[in-house]
Parts: sequence; structure tokens; C-alpha cells
Amino acid sequence: MKFIYTLTIFLFSIALFSQTTLSGKVVDEKGNPISGANIFIEGTYDGASSDEKGDFSFTTTTTGNQTLVVSFLVYETLKTVVDVSNFKNKTIKLRDNINALDTVVITAGNLEAGDKARVSVLKPLDIVTTAGSAGNIIAALQTLPGTQNVGEDGRLFVRGGEANETQTFVDGIRVAQPYGASAQNLPTRGRFSPFLFSGISFSTGGYSAEYGEALSSVLLLNTQDEPDQNKTEISLMTVGLGLGNTQKWKKSSLSVNTAYINLAPYQALIKQDVDWNSPYQSLSGETVYRYNFNNGILKLYAAFDSSKFDINQENINSPQKIRVNLNNNNFYFNSSYKGGFGNNWQIISGLSYGYAKNKIGVDLNSVDNEENAAHLKLKLKKSFSDRVKLSFGADYFVTKFNEDFKENLGTTNTNGYNSNIGAVYTEADIFFSKKFAAKAGLRASYNDLLNETAISPRVSLAYKMAKNSQLSMAYGDFSQTPSVDYIKYSKFHQFESEKASHYILNYQYNKNGKTFRAEAYYKDYSNLVKYDTPAIQYNSVFNNNGAGYAKGLDLFWRDGKSIKNLEYWVSYSYIDTERDYKNFSAQVTPNFVADHSLSIVTKYWINDWKSQIGFTNLYSSGRPYNNPNETKFMNGKTKSYNSLSFNWAYLLTTQKILYFSVSNILGSQNVFGYDYAKNPDATGVYNRAAITPTADRFFFLGFFWTISNDKKENQLRNL
Amino acid sequence: MTKVITAIALFVCSLLSAQGQFEQGMGKAFGLWKEGKNTEASDLFERIAGAEKASWLPNYYVALVNTTTAFGTQDKDKMNLLLTKAQNALDIEMIKDQNNAELYVMQAMINTAWIVFDPMTNGMKLSGKTMEMYAKAEAIAPQNPRVVFGKAEFQIGGAKWTGIDTKPLCAEIEKSIGLFATFKPETPFSPKWGLDRATEALKNCK
Repeated sequence: MKFIYTLTIFLFSIALFSQTTLSGKVVDEKGNPISGANIFIEGTYDGASSDEKGDFSFTTTTTGNQTLVVSFLVYETLKTVVDVSNFKNKTIKLRDNINALDTVVITAGNLEAGDKARVSVLKPLDIVTTAGSAGNIIAALQTLPGTQNVGEDGRLFVRGGEANETQTFVDGIRVAQPYGASAQNLPTRGRFSPFLFSGISFSTGGYSAEYGEALSSVLLLNTQDEPDQNKTEISLMTVGLGLGNTQKWKKSSLSVNTAYINLAPYQALIKQDVDWNSPYQSLSGETVYRYNFNNGILKLYAAFDSSKFDINQENINSPQKIRVNLNNNNFYFNSSYKGGFGNNWQIISGLSYGYAKNKIGVDLNSVDNEENAAHLKLKLKKSFSDRVKLSFGADYFVTKFNEDFKENLGTTNTNGYNSNIGAVYTEADIFFSKKFAAKAGLRASYNDLLNETAISPRVSLAYKMAKNSQLSMAYGDFSQTPSVDYIKYSKFHQFESEKASHYILNYQYNKNGKTFRAEAYYKDYSNLVKYDTPAIQYNSVFNNNGAGYAKGLDLFWRDGKSIKNLEYWVSYSYIDTERDYKNFSAQVTPNFVADHSLSIVTKYWINDWKSQIGFTNLYSSGRPYNNPNETKFMNGKTKSYNSLSFNWAYLLTTQKILYFSVSNILGSQNVFGYDYAKNPDATGVYNRAAITPTADRFFFLGFFWTISNDKKENQLRNL
Repeated sequence: MTKVITAIALFVCSLLSAQGQFEQGMGKAFGLWKEGKNTEASDLFERIAGAEKASWLPNYYVALVNTTTAFGTQDKDKMNLLLTKAQNALDIEMIKDQNNAELYVMQAMINTAWIVFDPMTNGMKLSGKTMEMYAKAEAIAPQNPRVVFGKAEFQIGGAKWTGIDTKPLCAEIEKSIGLFATFKPETPFSPKWGLDRATEALKNCK
């Protein structure tokens, strides 16, 4: 008895010690050994790391069927149930992890800036440390390929498209009025201060089915998810004052920025080519509130700005200067929620409301207009695996526009429109392997004002040829309601949407802080609006028979590594485009297009001076203009444009920065085009006036002070 | 009789070894780490973490082993791999407990590794966040020597280009050395590193 008892205990403890050996080899999809993989039985300590040859071997005290886990960061973790007693010399194949950093990215048409971008052409601070940009997001983007520098307008012109062909989105929700108000030939600025955005994605074509109502381009601005700390930012500038404050709590945070801009001191110092009765003044404020839930984030963004100016502009058609008096009030509100739920589902939803009111006095006539615009959005995304994702969603756009035109002592003409656009879309993202990915989508929309339905397919592909280089291509159909200038007369004429198709081929090379990007494109425009009068009028005869094309090549090179402390990029764009639209008598290159554009941006950090010095040079070849003295339409060409800008940021102390910038140092006498008289003079000649910048140079001096607990943060990134 | 004793001894041994599995495993992992087998050490810590979900230490050491390895790496891909691994491991524990100063110090170290690797890109982005980590750690454990030392060392690192006065920071390092002497780790495997680095840093102060 005693013996049996002893034996039982003995056998029992032996059993506890009995061990089984597992062994094998870990390889990748091509059969190459993977070293450093962690192979183990789930829930135990039993396991090993694979050696250089991918071999492993370990013992376990477990028995029977167990879950064997094989993990290595750049590969998908493999979990299989195995019989431990029967696992010897087995080969385990790991699949590439699609989330790894060296996975192919679809880049056709897309220029990314920001923290989250895998291949970033701009860093967040570039938006503002770029000489000549003066904190204007749009001006910084104009140093990228595919854009046209249209100095008398200031808005984004992309690849032969008009400025209104670009739509702006904040956190995925449309901004109906992205630019400040302005008068003819006075450049406007982007409405958004760069302070609150952490990521910018600028697509010059071929974008996702998620975005509609844009013929040429989309600009996606994303507000920061989480500010880094509590801080107060004070700016004293020769052109005004700014104040910002960020408060951070456990789950939420609030940032507020306000600015008052008054160009009076600057206009007094620098000779102006126009008379200012009252200088440009604006009061603006922006605020972002964020709340983090366990599975999502809610953001509320609101922006208000009110601006006014009063000038006397020379006009070729009148012996006296024409007085333009403008008052603009703008309000924008946007709320968005992004979160995960259920089994790998993601929801993005939001709404925006924009209100713009302009009161423009032109001599004794006045134009008052008002726009109310809203966008509602819902998007759902399901990840079936790391390799297959499906998203679908719906958009609803509402726009109400009303304009009263009051002639001096005359009648008031009222025009306007109400438009409702509903759209649904779906898109699939598929990774066939780490090297080959595709995105295919379809967007369908219905516009009640135009009474039409549009179906737009979008496809893009990307293939990684080598470790540092890849090819992408994109195709898409796009449609957009004609500009407000036309559809405000929609009670007199039934318009149709304008259409474009994009074909894009993109090559990208990326290595050690150097990026090279080349993109060729072809764009086919159709259904463009035409009219038959010198200016757009309610009684013009309109049709949608206009057409055109744009083709070209965009090159971009950025290098931040070769020379210490020097960061620079070079963009070159070549474009060949012609359009027959508006009241054109033939298909020609429109007057905002320069065939060749080159921009060079440099930033150099001088440690001993605690300074960052930057130069930006913008060059574009001559732009066409129409000379009524010649029989051929749009036959003139301006001289080329060049502007060299300089900026200097000096760190007084860590948190105090002195900033100086000047545009067009060389004082090039740039001409954007010519305005011709409507009627010839006595000798039968049409006289003209050159369209030039309001001043040759812009000077700016500012002092920026950040107050935060860590005493480290400063506004250098914002300059 | 001898057999009985042997059997009982074996049985007790096996019981003991079962109870001491955590200690044994951790001990073995530290051994591998000491031998310079960082991958193996990290893998073993990872396995222990998978089996011992109640302890934050194994994942903490996964993060520590990979971050310290990353500090000595020049290869961007490898660096990314190591720091991502460290971050993943730390995230698991950070979700479970937001009241552990050592975890915040660890997060600060991961950030610092990114900054050291590419100051131009990551400096602006992460230095504020890193200071926030130290501030949180300080609020929880103001007398933890790694908190005091880490914070001071990080600020000295930034002082090179911001021109902050390093004297009070050096005093902080000195203070941390005093704290290291009196610091009592909660368990044999709780973090206790840092004295040698602090001593080294203090030398650079003078």
C-alpha cells in the first residue's frame, strides 16, 4: 500500500516534469527565413525566438491540443491549434502585415502634409514657415506642383481648373465658403489659420468617391485630435494682434484663437497702387472643442470672421476711379464624430453650417448677397481584415443663395437659388499583397435644382516596384454644379452639372528624408457652361456645350538630409490646357494658366544665431490675355512672373520669437494680365490697364510669445 | 523510505517550481537581457506578459528592452520596429492603469528615443507631450528617482538648443541620486534602474 502510494506520488511528479519538444522553421511568403520571431504556446511561458536561419525549438509541459502563436511585428501574427506531441520540424509561413510601414500607399493625385501621413510632402510646420506664405495655408500649398499661381486672385487653381473647382473639407465636412471676401483683382486669403490643423491632404485629382461636387481638387484639413498642453499664445504684428489659448482636461480640450488684422500701418508705410478709403480690417475667431470617448472622438469647430475695406480702383472704362466698399460676415460651424463600434466597424458622421453675408458697394450701386449652406454626412467603414475594408456613406448638401442688386436710384433685382444634393457612395480598399493595392468606388448623386442624377466611378491602384519606389494610377469621373455666378439665374435657365474625367499616373521615390514625385495627368472637361454676352446676365443665352482638356506633368523633389540644417523643396509643373467655356469664341488656354511654374522653397536653421532663415522663389511663365485690338482671340501673353520672398524667425528666448518677412525682395514688376476698355477710343484702339499687385512688396514684422507650463513650446511651428 | 522522501522532495520541488514560475521566468529573461540577447529577452517577457495578465511588469520590460535597444540604433526601419513594439506593449498596460508613474516615465523614454533619432521632425511634435508625461508621473510619485532624473535629463537635452539654464536641472539630478539610495522597489522585479545613468549624467554637469 505504502509502495503504491509512493509510486503514485512519484509518477505524478514525473508527469508534471514530462516535457515535449516542438521545433520548426519560420519563413516569409517567399520562403526566406525570419529571425527573431516569437514562437510560443498561448498562455504559457513555453516558447522560443527563431534564430538566423529561422529555426526554433522549445519544450513544453503542456499536452494535447494547444494554441501555437507565432508573432513578429512586420508580419501578421499566426495562431493555430496544434497537437504539441506531434509538432516537429514544421515550417511556418508568416504573411506580411499590411499595417507595416513599408506597405504600398495609393498616392496618385495626393499630396499629404502632417503627422499621420506615411509619405509627407509637407510637414505641419511648413505651412507657415514657408517664406511668402504669411500664415496662409493656401499660399503654402501654392508652392506644390499642380497649382497655378494666380496672384490677383489668391485662391487655389489646380491643373487648369478654375478656383471654384476645389472643395475644402474640415474633418471630412464641407466648407462652403473657404475664402475671405475680396474685390476684383485683390487677392483673397484662406479663411483658416494653420494653428488648429495637424494634417492636410491636398488632392490634385483622382480622389476618393467619398468626395463629390468638385471638378478638380479637394483640400482636406483635419483639426488636431489632442493638443499637447495648456498654453496661451500672444502675437503682436505690424498688421494686427492675435491671441490664442488652449485648455486641456482629462477627456476634453478647448482651443480658441482670435485675431484682429488692420492693414493701415502697412498701407501707410508701403506705396500702394490703389487708394484705400478705409484699410482692410478683419476680426476673426476660431474655436475647437474635442471630447474623447472610450471609442471615439467628438469635435466641434466654429469660425467667425468679419472683414471690411473701402477702396478706389482705377478702371479702364471710367475716367474716375471706381469706389468699392465691402463688408463681409462669415460664420462656419462644424461638428464631427469619429469612433469605432461592434466588430471592426468605424463611424464618421457630422454636419456643417456656413453663413456668408456680403455687402458690396460699387460706386452708387450695391450688391447684397447671402448664402446659407449645410452639409450632413454619414460614413461607415468595416474592416473585414487588414487586407479588405469596405466603406459606404451618404452626403446631403443644402445651399440657399440670395442676391439683391440695387442700381443707383434704380430698381432692385433679386436673384438666387435653393439647391439640395443627395449622394451615396461606396468604396472598397483591397490589399492583394504588401506591394499591390487597389481602391474602387462609386458615387451616385441627385441634384434637385438641376434635376439630374450623376454616377461617378473612381478607381486607383498602387504597385510597389522596389523598397523605395512605387507607381500609382487613378481614374475618376467628377461632376459639379456650375458656379454661383451662373446658377443664381437658374430661374431663367435650366443648367446641367459640369463634368470632368481624370487619368493620373504617379511615380514616387522615397528614401532617407528625400522624396521625389512625378505625376502625369490627362483631364477631360465636358458640359461646361457657355453664355453669349460680354458679362453674365440674367438674359444671357446659356448652354452646357463647353468643353476642354488639361494635360501635364508635375515634378516634386524634397530633401531635408543632404545638407545639415537645410530643408528645401522644388516643384515644377508643366501644363497644356485649352477650354471653350464662358463667352469664349474658340477653345484656348484660359488667362489664369501659365505653361510652366517653378517654385523653390528653402529653410535653413542657424544654430549660433538661433534663427531660421527661409527663401521662397516663385516663377511662372507668361499668361495669356485677350487683346480686342487683335483679331485672334486670347492671343496676348504677359511677361513671366517672378517673386523672391524672404523670412527670418529669431528665437529671443525659447518662448519668444521675433519674425520678419518680406515678399518680392527684388521688386519685380509683375503683371498678371490686362483689362481692356469695353469700347475703342476715337482712333479705334481699345485701351488697356495692367493688372498688377496692389503693392510690389509686403513687409511683416511680428512678435510671438507662448506661455506654457513646460516653458518649451513656442510658435515657431506656426510661423 | 528513501524513495518516499525522494518522491516527496520531488513533489515539493515541482510545486515550488510551479509557484515560482513567474520568478523563474522573469529571472531567465533578465539573464538573457544581461547577456545581450535583447530579442530573446523581449520575446520571453512578451510570453510572460501573455500568461500573467495581472502583472504590469512583463510588458513594462518589453517596452524597456526595446526602447533601450532603439537608443543605440541608427537604422530607421529597425528603430521603427523596436519603438513600435515598445509602444504596443506599453499601451496594453497604460489602458489598465493610468496611475502608474513608471509607465509615464516609460512613455517619456519612447518619445525621447524618437526625438533623439530625428530632432528636426520629432522635436517640436513630441517635446510638449514628453513633458506632459513627466508632469503626470511627478503628480503621482514626486519622490520616484526615475521621474526626477528623467525629467531633468530630458530638459538638459533640450537646453542645448533652447539655452535654458541647466544649473537647477543638475541639482535635480543630484537630488535623484539621493532618492535612488532610499528607493525601495515594491517587488524584486519592480523597476529599480537608473542610478548609474544619473551618476553619469551628473558628471556631464560639471
